[in-house]
Amino acid sequence: MNFVVPPARIGRPFITLLRYNRRFWKAYAFGLALATFFSLVNLAMPMVLGHMVDLFNSRALNRPMLTAYCGALIGLGVITGIARYFERTLIIGASRRFEFDLRNDYFLAVQSQSREFFTRTPTGEILARASNDIAYVRELIGPGMMGTVDMLRLPFTLAVMVYYSAHLTLVACMPLPLVSILVYLFISYINKQSQKVQDQFGVVTTRVQENLAGARVVQAYGIGDVETAAFAKESEIYMREGVKLSVVMSFAWPVIGMMVGAVMLLVVWRGGDMVLNGEYITRLKWTADGIGFTSVKFTLGDFTAFLACLLLLAWPLAEFGWVMTLYQRGAVSMKRIAEYMAHIPDIRDTEKTDFSIANVKGSIEFVDVSLRYDGRTALKNVSFKVEAGETIAIVGATGSGKTSIVSLLTREYDPSEGTVQIDGTDARTIPLQTLRGSIAYVPQDTFLFSDTIRANLTFGRPDADQAETDHAADVAQLTETIDSFPERYETLLGERGVNLSGGQKQRLAIARAVVLDAPILVLDDALSSVDTHTEELILQRLKSVMAQRTSIIISHRVSTVRHADQILLLENGEIVERGTHDELIARGGHYAEMHERQLLEEELETTA
Amino acid sequence: MSAGFHMEDEAHQKAYDAKLMRRLMGYVKPYTAWFSVAVVLLFVASIIGNFTPLIVMKAIDTHVNNPVRMEKELSIRNAPTTDRAALAELEELKRQDRRGLFNLMMLICLMMLAESVFRYVQMIVVAWIGQKTMFEMRMKIFSHLQNMSLRFLDKNPLGRLMTRVTNDVEKVQATIVAGVEQTISDMFTIVVVVIFMLWTNWQIAAIVLSTIPFVFITGVIFRKFARKSYLEVRRKVARLNAYMQEMVSGMRVVQVFRQEARCFGQFREINAEHRDEWFRQIRNFAIYYPIVDFLGTLALTLIIFYHGWDVLGRQASGENMVQVGLFFAYLQWAERLYGPIRALTDRYNVLLEAMASSERIFTLLDTPEDIPNKPNGVKPKALQGRVEFRDVWFGYDAEHPVLKGINLTIEPGERIAIVGHTGAGKTTFINLLGRFYDIQRGSILVDGVDVRDYDKTELRRRIGIVLQDVFLFSGSIKSNISLNSPGITDETIRECAAHVNAAPFIESLPEQYEFAVGERGGNLSTGQRQLLAFARALAHDPQILILDEATSSVDTATEALIQDAILKLMDERTSIVIAHRLSTVQHADRIVVMHHGEIREVGTHQELLAHRGLYYTLYRLQYKDQSEAA
Repeated sequence: MNFVVPPARIGRPFITLLRYNRRFWKAYAFGLALATFFSLVNLAMPMVLGHMVDLFNSRALNRPMLTAYCGALIGLGVITGIARYFERTLIIGASRRFEFDLRNDYFLAVQSQSREFFTRTPTGEILARASNDIAYVRELIGPGMMGTVDMLRLPFTLAVMVYYSAHLTLVACMPLPLVSILVYLFISYINKQSQKVQDQFGVVTTRVQENLAGARVVQAYGIGDVETAAFAKESEIYMREGVKLSVVMSFAWPVIGMMVGAVMLLVVWRGGDMVLNGEYITRLKWTADGIGFTSVKFTLGDFTAFLACLLLLAWPLAEFGWVMTLYQRGAVSMKRIAEYMAHIPDIRDTEKTDFSIANVKGSIEFVDVSLRYDGRTALKNVSFKVEAGETIAIVGATGSGKTSIVSLLTREYDPSEGTVQIDGTDARTIPLQTLRGSIAYVPQDTFLFSDTIRANLTFGRPDADQAETDHAADVAQLTETIDSFPERYETLLGERGVNLSGGQKQRLAIARAVVLDAPILVLDDALSSVDTHTEELILQRLKSVMAQRTSIIISHRVSTVRHADQILLLENGEIVERGTHDELIARGGHYAEMHERQLLEEELETTA
Repeated sequence: MSAGFHMEDEAHQKAYDAKLMRRLMGYVKPYTAWFSVAVVLLFVASIIGNFTPLIVMKAIDTHVNNPVRMEKELSIRNAPTTDRAALAELEELKRQDRRGLFNLMMLICLMMLAESVFRYVQMIVVAWIGQKTMFEMRMKIFSHLQNMSLRFLDKNPLGRLMTRVTNDVEKVQATIVAGVEQTISDMFTIVVVVIFMLWTNWQIAAIVLSTIPFVFITGVIFRKFARKSYLEVRRKVARLNAYMQEMVSGMRVVQVFRQEARCFGQFREINAEHRDEWFRQIRNFAIYYPIVDFLGTLALTLIIFYHGWDVLGRQASGENMVQVGLFFAYLQWAERLYGPIRALTDRYNVLLEAMASSERIFTLLDTPEDIPNKPNGVKPKALQGRVEFRDVWFGYDAEHPVLKGINLTIEPGERIAIVGHTGAGKTTFINLLGRFYDIQRGSILVDGVDVRDYDKTELRRRIGIVLQDVFLFSGSIKSNISLNSPGITDETIRECAAHVNAAPFIESLPEQYEFAVGERGGNLSTGQRQLLAFARALAHDPQILILDEATSSVDTATEALIQDAILKLMDERTSIVIAHRLSTVQHADRIVVMHHGEIREVGTHQELLAHRGLYYTLYRLQYKDQSEAA
């Protein structure tokens, strides 16, 4: 199930949370019921205790009765334990289910985003929200809910205390206003100071990061000691702010401890006096003709029960601040997560999409296409046409807009003006999956997953059989490389496995595209790290592959593109020359110059 | 994408390592005195704190529920006639009890105050020690990193090294410094409570204590299960994060190959494993906590039962009353006993984790500098600027030499341009002079002294290096020029900026020299960054200048400024430039042509052109356009 967060809900995290958790309402309701039951059972303890004390004092208790009472107490303990078990597994369990759902949906949301989102959003930020923020939201739901439920005990306990003596309850509550003011002051100061400490931690982290990233400059200028001194300064501020925070946080502890002590003290003192003096109090009484008030003596038993209640009260009170922090932090995190989940990708299937288009033949036409992003123009009025099965080559300097053409084809961007047509229809009407499925793409910078060679090679077609896999590896001149590893296709790549060279990576990327068997093949500077000899071999093998496909080859090497049916030369996003290799050489323009220069380069390279 | 995903610093736990612990404690050692103060304060606070239940007990059992007074009340109530004398006596008793109660409450007040003050001071002392040791450890790692070679820094991902300085240190502080103190505190509390309990009533104490082994055993069993599950959870979290990271970095490939559904399926699976592992963990906790709670209830019930039984027995002989205060005292003590016992078992896991952090830190600290500084290395006041390469062989790894037998002498003040095709070894050449790498064979002499005999920092200070890729720090323009080196005044900064044509653009910026440069100089153009780097080099007034000209194109106006600045920089100092500009090669005293790690041609521009060798080809390839444009 995939929840979409409407943009209007970003700022209202609790509504989103409620929507998410609706499906777990049974677990929460049951957990709540158990917790209520548990609170009531817990309250029985002080009452039984008080009753026993009174029976003692009036010498009405005997040993069988004592045994029975104690048995009852143990029984209550057992029941409480069982209730506790279910309460915890239900509520915390539901929170983990919620976390699972939220993380899945977050992943889906991120996955549906387009290039525009990824260029704008740092990877670290996306990851941080997936790990830390989701964890905080989970804590709001799990432990936060448990804490809230625990606090249910508060009104029950207070009710029982009032039942024993309203007067004494009032006395016990006397320090409360002071406590709440203090707690408020502490929490606001601690929040402020924590923020300061966090910010300074950020400064320290940045210092280290810059120092390491700029290590070359630092070492070249021999300013390691200057840097160390500067780091020491920031570190010291961090230390000081940290100590300041501890000073206040530590202060909170004894103060709150004192307050709890003060309540105890007041109750023992005043309550003790009440027992001593044999004071009378009014108490609710169930009689045969209904509920009424009677005046009774405040006994030692009442006093005992009251004190025991007070001890029960201490825990939920202490928890209060913690639960508030969970809520606050969780809400902020939910907002951060919702921000991404509510972001609607600018490239997606829309109502204009014609879902009846199931496959693509491969003719491509750019009609007056311009592309602008990040405030700069990448392509200007580009028009060209490739028939299905033809090969087109695009050459030009770095930044001339070659890759932009491919990005428009795969719809990583949509044109700012003009249209990209495939098989004569606007690419925007072709379902995204169909469009991308018909393009075998070898990107400029090869990204491989930290997985086996096989998984990477068959990434686009996990169902490829061994023959197809072998064939693709062969076309990409990768067979030898694969055979050089003892585990061949099952060789693990990445930090834990083998590190391939740049050329090997590119060849794997080529094989990954070849195995796709799609009607359009795009090689974006895909042979740049491969030596000329291997390049020739690969081009040779690719010929048969390309013969049945529309191919787009981007390169800055003339040798790669010379056999194309059509060559485009791009400069600053515009097509400045077009034609076949021979035509362009004959013209003597930039292409011819490029060709000449590369011949020189080859000459240099062959000089021993 | 089945296996393979992992994260560095993955769920990692070490067995307790006494050696490591001792080394860690070495950091706390300078604060032994303060630490002892904290421990003493803690002891006192603990004794006072655990003494209060005893006073409450006395207050209740001897005053609120004074048996003598209660007897009297009973006898008066049971007497057929009112005995005025007895009533007066009862009033007197009540008065005494009220006063006694008041006095005891005041005493408690004082004790609580004292306990709070002691605890407060103690907590601050410990926090201070923790922060201080953390600071020192952090500084130690940082300055150690300053001495590590570029080779080391290139090999170790930046993020990993940063984690050492930041999170690992934090973790060590939080769990080890605070952990040791808390462990001492907990153990002491246990001892104090047990003593008080035994002293007050040894039979009841025995009852409470009899449940302790059960608490302990459940703790140990729980820990065994929980720890396994906990490690498993950590592993699953690491996998989840790693997968997410891999997906976000490779999202383009996923989307272009339209594998979204399959990847989501895999993610969902990992996510589900993570969830299910937590379910197991939740069950562990859900069983453990109630059991411990129940043991507490059991202990209390046993106290009631024992005490009740006892009192009932004595009541038969008509002497004693129930002691509510005693019960409350034990109730409080039991709580104070259970807490620390639970904490002790819980803390062990965290301690092991912190051990792993500290091990990583120490591994880094123990990595020796691979470009060692000679003791008493030469610290030159100034250099003449004479450089000599004698049969220098070097490779980043021993089997693949990048420089093969370089011989070159550069006179003081000479301007050398190094040219060559990509991969000819130019960059390596300049890296060796500042001793960023040590050569395998031959020697490099500066002013006739081997670079290995210099103090490397002092040597580098006298060599100005401007690299292609200008690194700017976030900070002001000013600090980027001076690099906060002492002795570079604002005036010098302005002069240098003006000299290398950087002043006009700097002065057009909003805050001029105080303008805040963004991360890596993101808010400045390529050309501006270049000029800034020149100003930086000039401000440090090196005797030898090494310049790797940037190839990236800038607009014509800026290009002219850069060309002019380069010529000014080369003036009157030994300069070695990897040249991409025609004007630079033309103004060089000598041009060194490198090819496949060897020096192939040396001479002036005109000489080499006439020679029609490698330089001629290079010239046609790289510089011809520029001469045509000029």
